[in-house]
Amino acid sequence: MSDILEIRGLSFRYPEAPRMAVSGFDLAIPEGEIVVLAGPSGCGKSTLLRAVNGLIPHMYGGEYSGDVLVAGASVKGSDMRELAQKVGFLFQNPENQIFMFSVERDVAFGLENIGTPREEMRERVDDALRLLGIGDLALRAPHELSDGQKQRVALAGVLAMRPRLVILDEPTSLLDPKTAGELVDLVAKLRRELGTTFVIVEHRLDLLVRVADRLVVMSEGRKVMEGAPKDVLLGEGSEKYGVATPAVTRLQKMLARDGLATADGLMRPADLAALSEKRAR
Amino acid sequence: MMWLSGGFIFRRGNSVYHRLDPRVKLLNSVLMFASTLMVRSVYELLGVIVFLVAVAAVATVLRRVARTMLLTGTFSVFIFLINFLFTRNLESSVLYAARFVAIVVSTSLFFITTSPDELEQVMKTFRLPRDVVFAFVTAVRFIPVMMLDTIQIMDAQKSRGLELDKGNVFRRVRNMVPVLIPLVVNSVVRSGELAEAMESRAYGVVPRPTSLVQYRASAADKAVTVAAILLFALAAYSFYYVLPVQFP
Repeated sequence: MSDILEIRGLSFRYPEAPRMAVSGFDLAIPEGEIVVLAGPSGCGKSTLLRAVNGLIPHMYGGEYSGDVLVAGASVKGSDMRELAQKVGFLFQNPENQIFMFSVERDVAFGLENIGTPREEMRERVDDALRLLGIGDLALRAPHELSDGQKQRVALAGVLAMRPRLVILDEPTSLLDPKTAGELVDLVAKLRRELGTTFVIVEHRLDLLVRVADRLVVMSEGRKVMEGAPKDVLLGEGSEKYGVATPAVTRLQKMLARDGLATADGLMRPADLAALSEKRAR
Repeated sequence: MMWLSGGFIFRRGNSVYHRLDPRVKLLNSVLMFASTLMVRSVYELLGVIVFLVAVAAVATVLRRVARTMLLTGTFSVFIFLINFLFTRNLESSVLYAARFVAIVVSTSLFFITTSPDELEQVMKTFRLPRDVVFAFVTAVRFIPVMMLDTIQIMDAQKSRGLELDKGNVFRRVRNMVPVLIPLVVNSVVRSGELAEAMESRAYGVVPRPTSLVQYRASAADKAVTVAAILLFALAAYSFYYVLPVQFP
């Protein structure tokens, strides 16, 4: 499968900033993957995301070197019209990305902006609403929605553009655990049904490790770890970069220390039974 | 002024009138407004008021309109008294007082039945620049959000010992500063986030964006337009050809 996103040696510094926000960053993501980006606050995650959807360098100027390719085309050389259709960006606070007074008008916002014909727009809006299970909210006003619903509306607006790559910036930070879990299920469903690639910045890894294909850890603008979530989390060092280790990983590490699990995987009940039997003898 | 603003706040409704093309609602309100200004006798104005009440009935907002009428009515008692004091003309004093009520009601009928979304459509018909329309849309969109923000900030500052309702007027105004500063800072941050989200959703990339909604003139649209034009024609006729009835 070809890479939907390719970052080649990206470095960026905001004007007047003392140090690089991102430096020498490389990453290649094949289409259809779910990639989680983790790292402490201020490590350059947001900057990296902006560089992927074109806000950098099209909205924010600064010192830019390297290249970002989305579906083979350079972000620097594309305009926002093309980029908005290729890369969807769900920002952290859904409140600040809902513009219109009714849900369906808001979902149509991006499509109106690129001049989609009305019939096609209607179809795409209805599709997006159905996909996210919010068809019954179509005529509601934003202030009549819960936080979880707002999140879905904002995501519907992003998906209506039919992007191949979707970026979620801390999508669960304002949600309660149940709604957050539902959002993660939704991401898995969208990848399954539409083949959408996701790049997700998230601190709550507990929820995401079960659907993520890859975990990338950033620190001070650089990529410091990359691999399958299990490998990164079970390996040494993920805690050093402030990655919140999921409870199940901590349990695994503790069991491994006591010889109740192998370092790369939990024992199945049968293995555990065999081991305890051996110990009893 | 709170009582007056109550007569201008949109509430969702599902009447035939609510579903009209917003431009028809605007035309109707403008013509009703003009008619109240053109009629020159109390009886004719009564005719306009009957028309207003009929519109309110169709829009199923009779109760709200009655409330607005009552509230503006108490205010127009002063209009009547002052007029009568100076002119000693009962008919014209009643006319002026009642006209004030009719003006408020005709305007309010537009605002209480037209959603902010529809207002946007109306603004677009006037070919206002997209940025201006969008600025209006976001301003109205964020009113409830900012109100919530204000309450939260007030609560936070009160819990840290800020006493908002102490002292004289000047002191109270000064007490608001710790509320206003975070509010302004919040709004600035919010506007930055909004700008990013707009950019990400291709705002302004094509000169002529399309629109999801399209209005097609329905039978109700046509009926209301005809009725409004008829009312206005009658009022205009009265303005130019009918002499006002003179009381001795």
